[in-house]
Amino acid sequence: MNRSMYLSIGIVTMILGVMLAVQFRTNRYIEQSVPADRAQELQVELSKLEKDNRKLDREIEDLMYKLEQAQKGQLQAQAAIEDELKKARIHAGLVTVSGPGIEVVMDNPPSQSRRNHVFIIRDEDLLRMVNELRGAGAEAISINGQRMISTSEIRQAGSFININLERTEPPFHILAIGSPEKLKSALEISGGLIDYFKDLGIVVKIQSHSSVTVPAYNRSLQFNYAKAVRKG
Amino acid sequence: MRIRPFHIALALVGLVMGILLSVQFRVTKETMRTPQISRVQVMASKVSEARAERDKKQDQVNRMRADLDKIAGGAELGPLREDLKSARIEAGLTEVSGPGIEVTLNDSNAPVKPGENPNLYVLHDEDILRVLNELRAAGAEALAINGQRVLAATEIRCTGPTILINRNQRLTPPFVISAIGNQDNMINSLKMRSGVVDYLQAFNIQVSIKRIAQINIPPLPVNISFDYAKPTGEVQKGP
Repeated sequence: MNRSMYLSIGIVTMILGVMLAVQFRTNRYIEQSVPADRAQELQVELSKLEKDNRKLDREIEDLMYKLEQAQKGQLQAQAAIEDELKKARIHAGLVTVSGPGIEVVMDNPPSQSRRNHVFIIRDEDLLRMVNELRGAGAEAISINGQRMISTSEIRQAGSFININLERTEPPFHILAIGSPEKLKSALEISGGLIDYFKDLGIVVKIQSHSSVTVPAYNRSLQFNYAKAVRKG
Repeated sequence: MRIRPFHIALALVGLVMGILLSVQFRVTKETMRTPQISRVQVMASKVSEARAERDKKQDQVNRMRADLDKIAGGAELGPLREDLKSARIEAGLTEVSGPGIEVTLNDSNAPVKPGENPNLYVLHDEDILRVLNELRAAGAEALAINGQRVLAATEIRCTGPTILINRNQRLTPPFVISAIGNQDNMINSLKMRSGVVDYLQAFNIQVSIKRIAQINIPPLPVNISFDYAKPTGEVQKGP
């Protein structure tokens, strides 16, 4: 055994150590960098943004045309404003709309099996139902003829449920416009809302329709506190 | 120095090491650009690009709407413009401001006792629904959660500690619900005996309510579109 051999072994060992360290870091990098669901989340967001952008492009085009028209004269200006009003009213829920969707009928359990008040449909049941439908992409919803708009409440008032300040009682006819399959499956998913209601004894029926008509909000809008912010 | 057998062995080992080293370097370099990692990076940059584009377009739309209102400024159109104004508020197309309250909700910070279900002490989508519903019943005119406008088609979905609203906008606690409307009505109705606040506090959920003289509630960047619902009695026009 001589010196040069120790030297050789020393160098080889050093290289080995460096390699090992690099290897470890590479492995760690692989582990931490690719959560597959993050990619999916980004994809979802991206496609939503792209859809938004297409919508905004159409809106800009439409507004450009209207601005052009409005500059021509009073009559054209009025037509442009009227059209803007029409669009805003559709979004606000002030227009009767129809389209494919589902009809849900909810009723209290038959009286002979009704032992106490726990199993009676309450405001929170309807709230959850409406929220589930919105989550499944419902574009317009009504309950017993009351259109759900952004300020609509669903509130227990004694044995009645007030919706848009109107008294309603079971059976509740809920209409929702959207993809019938998506709406239906969102409710019927196992362990979902329908299963829960059925366990409570609430009678629920769902039907898909190629066309349902959701009525307009039937009161006038009043804003006493909220004021539009003017910009520019 | 004579060549000894172990010298040859050492040379061989050195050669193998060298090959290993170069392979290692190449693998490492390739891992840095595996499709999945770069996919996330590319996507993230695309998302932020698309978001910037959307914000720019949204600004443009807002400006154009204001311009249109200005041009159509004749007195004859007064009532029409008033209608338009309130329809736009209801539809969430304009930013609104006014007096109102802010309700802040956060998960319980009380330690969970052994044997208790910790799930009872965290906020659920249902709790937020209740608060929103109560505010609506008390006459709230415009609502938002963490700056996201709440509208007719807005859903609230619980996903772990965060919630999703307005089709996949993710919000994290604490949740601040802003409401424009009659402050007294809204506060009284939330604080009603055995009302929403009582209910939430029974589970130690932190609720605080603040009066604010002037709250601004932003519009929804792009309104939820009507792909299925069409105005009744209107023949659908081609694109």
